[in-house]
Amino acid sequence: MEVSITEVGPGDIDIDPAVLCGLMGIDPDDIPEPYSGIIQRELDEIKNYPNIKGGFKISGNIDILSPKGVLSYEGVEFGAGKQVVDNLSNSEMAALYICTAGEEVSRRSKELMGQGNLLEGYVTDLVGSLLVEGAMDILHEKLRNEMESKGLRVTNRYSPGYCNWNVDEQHKLFSFFPEGFCGVRLSESALMNPIKSVSGVIGIGKEVKFNKYICHACSSVNCIYRNIKHAV
Amino acid sequence: MEELLKQIAHCVEFGKINQASPYPPDLKGKDGADELTKKALDQGATAEEILTNALIVGMGKVGVKFRENKVFVPQVLMSAKAMSAAMAHLKPLFASGAAKRKGTFIIGTVQGDLHDIGKNLVSMMVEGNGYEVIDLGVDVNADTFLTEAEKYPHAVIGLSALLTTTMVNMENIVNALKEKNPETKVCIGGAPVTQDFCNKINADLYSPDPQGLVEYLDKLAS
Repeated sequence: MEVSITEVGPGDIDIDPAVLCGLMGIDPDDIPEPYSGIIQRELDEIKNYPNIKGGFKISGNIDILSPKGVLSYEGVEFGAGKQVVDNLSNSEMAALYICTAGEEVSRRSKELMGQGNLLEGYVTDLVGSLLVEGAMDILHEKLRNEMESKGLRVTNRYSPGYCNWNVDEQHKLFSFFPEGFCGVRLSESALMNPIKSVSGVIGIGKEVKFNKYICHACSSVNCIYRNIKHAV
Repeated sequence: MEELLKQIAHCVEFGKINQASPYPPDLKGKDGADELTKKALDQGATAEEILTNALIVGMGKVGVKFRENKVFVPQVLMSAKAMSAAMAHLKPLFASGAAKRKGTFIIGTVQGDLHDIGKNLVSMMVEGNGYEVIDLGVDVNADTFLTEAEKYPHAVIGLSALLTTTMVNMENIVNALKEKNPETKVCIGGAPVTQDFCNKINADLYSPDPQGLVEYLDKLAS
């Protein structure tokens, strides 16, 4: 199957200020100035981020090699690790994805930091992280709906760099997409640019499972997925 | 004077930048680090006295609270901004040689990596604890670190990385710096970095938090 692109309007993503406060370590029920003003201002800025988009490449030519912790996708072996591969078990297809919040949000964060507006820059950086996750939530839901109409289910999404999956494997993942897909480029060191971008895989099948809580199995304490969960 | 310095330390600890700053709520309308530092200088305090007995005291308390998860990044950033407001009055005195800092710290995010929030946070904490900080920015290669280390031969070097793929670039930089001058101290940090990795690449310090680095620098400076 060819790659598909979905553009997400900034207004389609609903960032809960309570989640943002949680990531900042602030009580959302009692936000003092200047935090409340900065949070509101940076959430209002979202309308100025027009390049939020992402897309999938779906293939049924896959093999889940659980004992080896390997996902074979169209003949390319991803050493995603046992934890990720176990969670993809029973997949009949897999959707690779790339999604970005665009470069505007990171540029604004850097500008604010450079001007000495440290807190504002930090809040903007967090907004960028939540934006790309919010966009990916929309894409994930769209995929779920499409697959449900065919009697199929989808798994959680898993990314290189998380759950002990080596971030360097993004190079293999990006090889399935056209150069500069959705405006995202991958550096030699596997850093996506724009920085507020994500990539990964979702399993699809009649018997796959979506696990509500998976963080207990991972040792990464700095992961935003874990911290978002703690924040809500 | 002692009371004034205590007030400045309090402003730094709680992020009270200046009179106009509404944060923290219990200091609303009162003088902040900006006005109080100017007042202290006007009353005859030296830059070193203000740095040692006010800014370092305030930032030190914030660093400990941050390590103990009693405050989070936003509060540290507010403290750093208050510290910067005070430092703006002191910097001309340090630049002229009329006052001295504890040492020099050169920091950068290593080659291939563009993440800088953690690095910026460390820079501010180190500066607030009395060191001159040379921030080389992001995507910094070994040559740039070497050039700066030559300019400041007694400086301690700090390397930051957020990815496992860029973390490995720390090893080349540590090797290059140590080859040029085996006495150069190199500190490393960032989300994927561990003590084991620090040992493996022969760096001198890994700290999971800025305060650990400050304590190490203080030990070297003493």
